[in-house]
This record gives sequence, C-alpha cells and structure tokens, in this order.
Amino acid sequence: MNRFALAFSTAIARVTEAARAPYQSAVIRIGFATTWLLFLLREFPHRSELYGPDGPWSWDLAQQLIGMNHAFTVLMWSDSRLWFETVYALAVVASAMLALGWRTRTASVLFMVGVLSLQNRSVFMGDGGDNVLHLMSIYLVFTRCGQVWSLDARRARRQDAARAQGELVVDRAGPALWAAAGVVLAAATALGRFDGQEWLVPSLLWAAWAAQALWWLVSRSRRAEQPRILLDVIGNLLHNAALLVIMTEACLIYATAGWYKIQGSRWQDGTAVYYPLHLDYFSPWPSLGDLLAASGIMVMLVTYGTVAAQVAFPFTLFNRRVKNVLLVMMMVEHAAIAVILGLPFFSLAMITADAVFLPTSFLRRLGVWAARARGRLFPRPCGKAEVPGPRRPAPAEQPQVGSTAQAGHT
Amino acid sequence: MDAYGGHGTQSGGAKTPGPGPASGPEPEGVAPDGAPPPPPAPPAPPRTGVAALSPRYQVGAAVALALVAITVCVHLGMVFLHVAPSNTITKAHGEAVDDWMYPEFEQNWKLFAPNPLQQNIAVEVRAQVRTAKGEIRTTGWYDLSAEDGRAIDHNPVPSHTQQNELRRAFDYFTNTHDSDGRPVGVRGTLSETYLRRIVVLRLERDGAAGPGGTVEQVQVRSRTTAVPPPSWSSEQISLKPVYRTMPWWSVPAEDGAGADRTQAVGSARDDVAGSARSEAAGSARTEAAGGAR
Repeated sequence: MNRFALAFSTAIARVTEAARAPYQSAVIRIGFATTWLLFLLREFPHRSELYGPDGPWSWDLAQQLIGMNHAFTVLMWSDSRLWFETVYALAVVASAMLALGWRTRTASVLFMVGVLSLQNRSVFMGDGGDNVLHLMSIYLVFTRCGQVWSLDARRARRQDAARAQGELVVDRAGPALWAAAGVVLAAATALGRFDGQEWLVPSLLWAAWAAQALWWLVSRSRRAEQPRILLDVIGNLLHNAALLVIMTEACLIYATAGWYKIQGSRWQDGTAVYYPLHLDYFSPWPSLGDLLAASGIMVMLVTYGTVAAQVAFPFTLFNRRVKNVLLVMMMVEHAAIAVILGLPFFSLAMITADAVFLPTSFLRRLGVWAARARGRLFPRPCGKAEVPGPRRPAPAEQPQVGSTAQAGHT
Repeated sequence: MDAYGGHGTQSGGAKTPGPGPASGPEPEGVAPDGAPPPPPAPPAPPRTGVAALSPRYQVGAAVALALVAITVCVHLGMVFLHVAPSNTITKAHGEAVDDWMYPEFEQNWKLFAPNPLQQNIAVEVRAQVRTAKGEIRTTGWYDLSAEDGRAIDHNPVPSHTQQNELRRAFDYFTNTHDSDGRPVGVRGTLSETYLRRIVVLRLERDGAAGPGGTVEQVQVRSRTTAVPPPSWSSEQISLKPVYRTMPWWSVPAEDGAGADRTQAVGSARDDVAGSARSEAAGSARTEAAGGAR
C-alpha cells in the first residue's frame, strides 16, 4: 500500500514539475508545421481551386455543409477574395512562426486556426495526411513545444543573460500580439461569427488568450509566486497530457491500420501491396512499381511485414530497443510511400508522428549535428561567440537523457 | 508573454525535495510554537511541481490534475471507440461518441484496409456546347482521370487538385446516390453540384466549348477497370471496363453558385461528409476481393 502511495506521488511529481520530453515535442512542432508550410507553398498556385470562394467546392456549397456539421473555419466569415487570400497568407505565416518557435504558443493557436479553417472549408480535398495534421494542430496548442530548438528559447537565454547583467528587458511583440488577437476575437464574437460553429474551438481560442494574460500578470508580480507555480503546474499538466494523447493517437493510427488489414483477403494472401502500385492515382513512377511488383515473394514479404509492424508497434513501446528498431522501419516505409505512391505530405506527417517516440539521446545528437551544419553554412562573425551546441533543457530533464521509454510513460 | 520560455521549467527546474503533496511541507508552514513566521527565505531558484505549492494551492493543482486526467481518459476512450468497429458499446452509445468526435476529431485510419482498392475508376465527361455560331454540338468523351494520371506521372509532389479533387468528389457522389443515380438527401444534391462544377471547370480548361462557345449540358460516366492480377497469380478476372453513365445535367449560367442555396436544411449529424473526409490517403474504399464489377 505504502509502495503504491509512493509510486503515485512520484508520478504526480513527474507530471507536474516539468514539461516532459522537450526534444520530442520540439521535433513534432517543427515537423507538423513544416509539413503544412510546404503543403501550402506547393499548393499556392492551386489555392483558389482548393479553398477559394469560387473553387469547385464553392463558398455556397461549403456554407450548406458547415450549416450541418458546424465545423470551425474562419473562411466562412466572408466570401470575399481578399479575405481568402489573407487567411491563406496568415496560415503560411503561422506555420513558419511555429516551425521556428517564435512566440510558440501564439503561433500554435494561429497554426490550428489556419489548418482547421482551410481543411474544414473543403473537406473533400484532403487525405490521410490532412487528417493527421488536423488532429495534431489541435493537440499541439496544449504543449510547451518551444522549450528547445526555438527562437523563444534563444530569446529566453539572451534575456536571462541580460537580466544577469542588470539590464532591463522589455517585451513589446508579445503584448502587441496578444492585444491584436484580443481585438480580433472580440470582434468575431460580437459580430456573431462563432455562432453557427461548435463551441470547442472558439472557447479554446478565448481560453488560450486569457491564459496568456494570466501568465503574464503572474510572472510580473513578485508577490504572486504561488499562483505562478500553480499556473506552471497546470501548464506542465496540459503539456504532458497532450503529449500522451499525441502518442496514443499515433498508436491508434497504427493499430487501426494494422488490425483492419488482418481482416482483408489481399493482406492474407500476400498480394495487397501489389495493388496500390497499379492504381493510376497512386503510381507516379509506374516503372518503379513494376520493378517492386516483379517478385511475388518480395511483395508478400512487404505485405506481411507491413501488417506485422503496424499491429506490433504499440506493444513495442514497452521495450526500448525493439521500439527503436520498429521506429526506423516505420520511417523508412513512410519515406518509401512518399515516393512510390506519390504521397509526400501524408508521409511527412506520419514520419513526424513517429518522431515523437525517438530517443532523447538521438535527438540531442541531431541537434548538435544541425547546429554544426548551420555553423559551417553560415559562419558567425567572430566576436559574438555564442556556443551553438546542444540547447539544454531544464536541469530537471537531465536524468531523463537517453531514455525515451520514459517519454511513453509520462 | 508566451507561456513558454525561460520561466519555471527553463531556469529553475529545482529538484523538489519530496516527491508528492504528502511529503514535507514547504517553509510557508506555520511555526509550531506560534512564533512569528520566519523571515522570507533567500531568493532560491524558482521551484516547480505541486510540492512547491502551499496546501491551499495544492487543492487547485489537485482539481486541475483530476480534470486533465478525466478529460484525457474520456478523450482517448472516445477516439478508440470512434476508430474501432461497431461494437456493444458503440451500438448503445454511438451518439455520445459521435457528439464528442465530430466535427473536429473525426478520423479514419483504414489505410488500404481491409483490402486495397483493386480497380481504377476513371471519370469521363462529355458536353453539349453551343458554339459561337449558335449551333448545338456534342463533344467526345474527355477522360479527366487520365488527365490527372498524366499530371501525377513523374511528379514527386502531386497536387491535391490532381490526386484528390476529382477522385474524392466522385467517391462522395457515389456514396450519396443510389444505384439508379438518384441523389440521397441534401448531401446527394451537394455532391452532384460539386461534381458538376469540377467537370465544367475541367472542360473549360480543355477548351471543350471552343472559342466563343458555352457548355450547356454535361454528362458524366465512370469507367471501372480491374487491376490485372499479378503475373505470378493464377487468378482469372474480367478486365473488361464497366461503365456507369449519369443523366445529362444542365449547367446554370452562373455555374451553380447559389443554385442550391435553399436546400440547406439543418439536418443533425454529419456522417457522410465525415466518412468522406478521412477516407484516408489510399482511398480506403474497398470492394470484396477480386470483386471487379
């Protein structure tokens, strides 16, 4: 009984004292934001056809469907061309902000607004990749995904250094962003733009806005230490909970994909992989498909391997080494899907979802390599010798280095 | 401003002395002998975690913990039931699951499952055009899916307009029409307008009406061809294409915009748009194996 109580209190301490897995949350932030950013840039020439007021899925058609499903999209606020272009541009900017980790929490909210607005506007344009991004954009709002590998982290370091030297640090961009967001939210609410929509997203927007103000107030006041710690605890809780949801979601994706396949006769007779390679819509390199489909035994091995890996994946999380092997397999398979089936954005989103399970030690090494590569590409003018090395998380994270299995248990 | 950055977890990260709320009270505790409280401790690095909270605030943290834990459990349970096959629980409480999941958490991960699609479904269209001279002329069939296929060939990053637009629109259309091609409900009308607008757009791009001409009516048909079985297989299936031809649809002058505005009856839940949205990357629609029609 006592042991149980101790384990319970240890668990509570773990989920409240720190936002766990800073590198994993950073890597999925960068991954999902970059995927959506690249998608938006790639579709820039087709943006009107996909989401514009005069596209085949016209504003009127969308209006009727949204009148029934109440999904969130700011694109229904106006059928003007200018509004559409503005929203598209803002979606691009928000993705870039999030990928770079500039004002990360605000960026994550804007990113979600961009993803939901465009995708809900034209639901019939999307595929599995869009579906992943749709869900993850909502979950990311709850994470503290800017702790490392972000402009926010760099600014925090510089501000701490400046404060240590007794300089006064004033933040202007933050309050300005917050005020602007408040004006837009208030206007949208007053004009009844949220009326026909489900309450979830609008209330999430207001809650995020209010939380920012609360956090700012509490961080400024010297006397509010207890409220500040409480807010920090809640922030950590939300982060860790969201990360758990993201990981479980990834497991459910694989489990669903795997278990349903087991029931299919083509997955049983070992020919399933042959067929998508011969669908006109998913064969950008027909000769490559023919080459892969030339050997019946190859096709069968890949078919069985795919099912086995997908079904097994969630269970491998209990063993670090097996999990890492499978993770590599999944990433390789998705990279192959990107090329062979012509689904680069779906694959990028799935690889990013996989990346949440990568070991911290590997991610830190990746960070060092990236910093070194950057240093080689853009040598810094001497004199400003900022060590570009691994950006360290909170000391509380140190014991966790090298163990990711933990990440799965937070 | 951002709730990120250098506070809390970044700068301090204090290893809290005791693991949980039950362990050692923090210095705020009242001195046992009623003596005046001790002078404030010297500025320590910011502390974190529930252990750093006074009992009053610990209550707040406990409430937050309970709320978050319950929400996560319920959400994960709902997601599970949403992606699981129809079962005892969803048969009884399917509406509660749908209420939670739609519209924003809807998902479908039957990727190429239970069976991958084993037919190429091509959408073709022809038009009745009024030429610049006022004659009525019927064009030949345009294979729009073949156009998509050519755009996808040797393209490392196919656009959604090439890979998803027509394919999924036709899928949506067949899902919302009965076998005689009659629309089922409001969604049937929506999908018909959508498909018509796509084919008109594509006919315009192909210059089907000729200079000065206008498209007055369009007719869509699908050509379904089974993927030939692999060379090592002894399976015998018919490779003869099967056609399904829709009636002629007239094209409104403004191309349907607003034509169906009056039909928006606020029906309840969105199941068709739902399943249609997430029918994932590989067009999860499956027919029984080898069931080339």
